[in-house]
Amino acid sequence: MSDIHTLAGAYALNAIDDMDRARFDRHLAECPACAAEVAELTETVAALAEATAETPPVGLRSAVLDRIDRTPQLRPETRRTSGRRPLPRRRWLAAAAAVVALGGAGAVGYVIADQSRPDAGTRADTEARRIAAVVGAPDARMRTTATDGGRVSVVESPSLDEAVAVLTDLPAPGTGHAYQLWVIRDRTPQSVGVLATGRTDATELVSGVRGAQAFGVSREPSGGSTTPTLPLVAQLPLG
Amino acid sequence: MTSEPEPGSQEAAPTDIDALMRAVADGDRDAFADLYDAVASRVYGLVRRVLRDSGLAEEVAQEALVEVWRTAARFDPSRGSAAGWIFTIAHRRAVDRVRAEQATVDRERRAATANVPCDDLIEEVTARLEQQAVRRCLRTLTQLQRESILLAYYGGLTYREVADRLGTPLPTVKTRMRDGLIRLRDCLRVSWG
Repeated sequence: MSDIHTLAGAYALNAIDDMDRARFDRHLAECPACAAEVAELTETVAALAEATAETPPVGLRSAVLDRIDRTPQLRPETRRTSGRRPLPRRRWLAAAAAVVALGGAGAVGYVIADQSRPDAGTRADTEARRIAAVVGAPDARMRTTATDGGRVSVVESPSLDEAVAVLTDLPAPGTGHAYQLWVIRDRTPQSVGVLATGRTDATELVSGVRGAQAFGVSREPSGGSTTPTLPLVAQLPLG
Repeated sequence: MTSEPEPGSQEAAPTDIDALMRAVADGDRDAFADLYDAVASRVYGLVRRVLRDSGLAEEVAQEALVEVWRTAARFDPSRGSAAGWIFTIAHRRAVDRVRAEQATVDRERRAATANVPCDDLIEEVTARLEQQAVRRCLRTLTQLQRESILLAYYGGLTYREVADRLGTPLPTVKTRMRDGLIRLRDCLRVSWG
């Protein structure tokens, strides 16, 4: 049993950050037994919701019923797979990357939010909304740098304290290697995500960029490192 | 905390929720109103527990319940109960919100922002567990298993934050969450089976 599998409990409890979640999602897609275990543990966790039941505020019922009157439902997925599969998210993010790369900041935020509806899962939907919010924010600012045939762009919204990093056509990181993303604050790099081994394109939401000086991409052994290997593949100023 | 309802008083049996969910997936608004009545107290209570703010909880509970409506056709009964699916959506929404709020404060202060003493939290939720089976089964866990699971779930903490809080190595917390949930699952299976 691989080491990553021990994350099944934390995953079922939602007790993981986005980086681990992405890692584990990829694992789940390749491990049906793990997916079955996660489904069971998720069910177990749901039993804990009994403990905190509490009468909701009186206005909640009418507010929710009002909203569903105005909210169209999604069609069933044609494939009966779960939102945990990474594919829909990747597909969505590819679309977002294209939009960001083409349009930069501005009104494209709406387009992104709209496109996310047909085939994105719950998680991707939340992320999609946040990405759209960053890209569409009035104070959104994009910076781009070319690197070895590829490109790294960061759209940053200081007011939202979030950024969207878009990596396009980076050179293959090599066998057993992956790109890792960093936010650099007070000269200290902090990891904000590791891409899948060999992946060369990505769109990632980066939270907590306020006060940071730079965004960086490094090439690391698969799974990432605690400090970036120098020189960085790309670096962009933030703030 | 003076006018706590009797948790569980409005709960529908799991099978009813599954049946309602099928109707909701077909666009049945009346069924959704019934589904709301069956799950709202648990959705709201859970979200409020994680967010520790009534106003925010109302907003996030509303978003979660609308999402249940919107994505109802994506619910796959072969993967679990409708109730489990709904509470997962609600919990994740709440946790996403907590972490988004935390991202706006200094990262160094993250651990400090979730400052409910863990003993109090664990004692309170254990005391409120109406489901005797859940309460009894939680007692079969080791203290570390129980603390890891309850802090993560009700505190909205990541396993890293739980490890910090409990002063326990990361791999240990990860493992205890998993084997604790497995033990809880097996115990509940016997109780309900």
